[in-house]
Amino acid sequence: MVVTGLGFVTPIGNDRSTVTAHLRAGQHGLAPVEFLGNPHLAVKVAGTVKDFTVDSTSWRDWKWPAEYEIPRETLRGLAPHGVYALCAVTQALRDAGLSADAIAGDETTGMFCASAGSAMMGYHNLAQLHAVRGERGNPMGVINAISGTLNFNLAAHFHITGAVCGFVSACASASHALGYACDEIQLGRLRRVIVVGAEELNAETLLPFLAMRVLSGASDPMLASRPFDAGRDGFVGGGGATVLILEEASLAAARGVRAQAELAGWGQAADGYSMAMPHPEGAGLRRAMQRALACSGVKPEEVDYVNAHGTSTPVGDRAEALALRSVFTDAGAHPRVSSTKALTGHPLSLAGAMEAAFCVLALKEGFMPGNPHLVTPDPACEGLDLPRAAVAVAPRVVLNNSSGFGGSNVCQVFRASA
Amino acid sequence: MLPQPISDSGAQLQRFPLEVRDAFRLFRSTGDIASLHLVVLAVVRDYMPRSGGVVLTEEMRLIEDLGYDSLAVAETVFFLEDLLQVRIGNKELMEVRTVGDLRSFVTRKVEQKRSAVA
Repeated sequence: MVVTGLGFVTPIGNDRSTVTAHLRAGQHGLAPVEFLGNPHLAVKVAGTVKDFTVDSTSWRDWKWPAEYEIPRETLRGLAPHGVYALCAVTQALRDAGLSADAIAGDETTGMFCASAGSAMMGYHNLAQLHAVRGERGNPMGVINAISGTLNFNLAAHFHITGAVCGFVSACASASHALGYACDEIQLGRLRRVIVVGAEELNAETLLPFLAMRVLSGASDPMLASRPFDAGRDGFVGGGGATVLILEEASLAAARGVRAQAELAGWGQAADGYSMAMPHPEGAGLRRAMQRALACSGVKPEEVDYVNAHGTSTPVGDRAEALALRSVFTDAGAHPRVSSTKALTGHPLSLAGAMEAAFCVLALKEGFMPGNPHLVTPDPACEGLDLPRAAVAVAPRVVLNNSSGFGGSNVCQVFRASA
Repeated sequence: MLPQPISDSGAQLQRFPLEVRDAFRLFRSTGDIASLHLVVLAVVRDYMPRSGGVVLTEEMRLIEDLGYDSLAVAETVFFLEDLLQVRIGNKELMEVRTVGDLRSFVTRKVEQKRSAVA
């Protein structure tokens, strides 16, 4: 099965050419932030989304680029990240050469979404409800807030009739959506799946992670998000949306559309270790990578590039480095490894889709993103090839890693299209 | 016990044109029903799922003519309940079909509340 369309609303650009340029140049999209009017918080920078204004709890205040039309009928039920997602779906359909009419009511087209919901809208809606002791509340208060908000709204807006579903495994959510989309097509249940990942960047989404003490407190973007560096001190938040259009290869060929990459297979495995921390040696991630490679019929030495989960937390990056060494270095394989979260920050539920789309760009455009903020690699990374700058060599096979709370680990293998 | 307002009464109309806010102030200070009707019409127009330059008439049906769905009806009622500090039950709501129905229904509710307070 193949990827035929991509849509981006990310900290490093809101279209594929801007995103590609940032990945090639190693140019980050982090900017200064302040939450809850408190300049003393130890959160100084984040991967912000530009050209959108969705910080109000009222959709009437929201703004988005003029090229996207969002009717009020749709807008009234959206969460802020739903606006990002709707624009990214519109962009991906265009990229895939599909009209909105072509997918509306098509029983072979499904939509799988990844979202943690909108904590901001949920908090606002419930505060209203509490203020009147439950007497009344916003009728859109479920639809615009709970973790199915993307699938509820987007499936209705785009008239999806194949199947619609949501995935919740924290930072592995979008990778799960992609994996199960792959299965649905392989099982012949659907011929096309629109895979959507989106996340908000606001106090309600990010500050709970400050309470967990897993965020970087650095104000210099070059120091704040530096996956695999010995001096890393936590992750940097990020928001946005990314969409991949996945199609049965014969369907894309019949439409006369050129595949951007092949999704060769995927794998997942769980840590069974902690509700929040990864297994110290990345045991689940190691097995997820091995399963993805086996599912794709790919040997470790055939992998040219790995887009690591690499969030820039001390514990997470170390576990992933050890898992990568076990799968690749120990097998005599030396793929280039980078975490593009240095540039985007960590957009949580969106991460898997965003980075899978970066992998597709790498294959299609012929380069491998680097680790521009890496100065002193953690000794745990010994033997891994972590290029600082993007490598101007076209990869043939790439692996995308995602890990989420509860020990979810999900990986996909993409191949360059013939 | 009636629910307490979320914000100062009338603040919910901030996004509405000045004439609507003035009408609400007049209704609040004098009980002028014509002013209340103007506010209700503005709210109906504001919650239409498909915006358009429709001139609202008494006979227009919310669902069939104005493109309302049950969620938009619920949103409108939530807004009016909050603005006017009245409570509207599901059964009562089912009898409201037209713009005129909603106007007279809201008027009746406000008058009931006023006589209860008096």
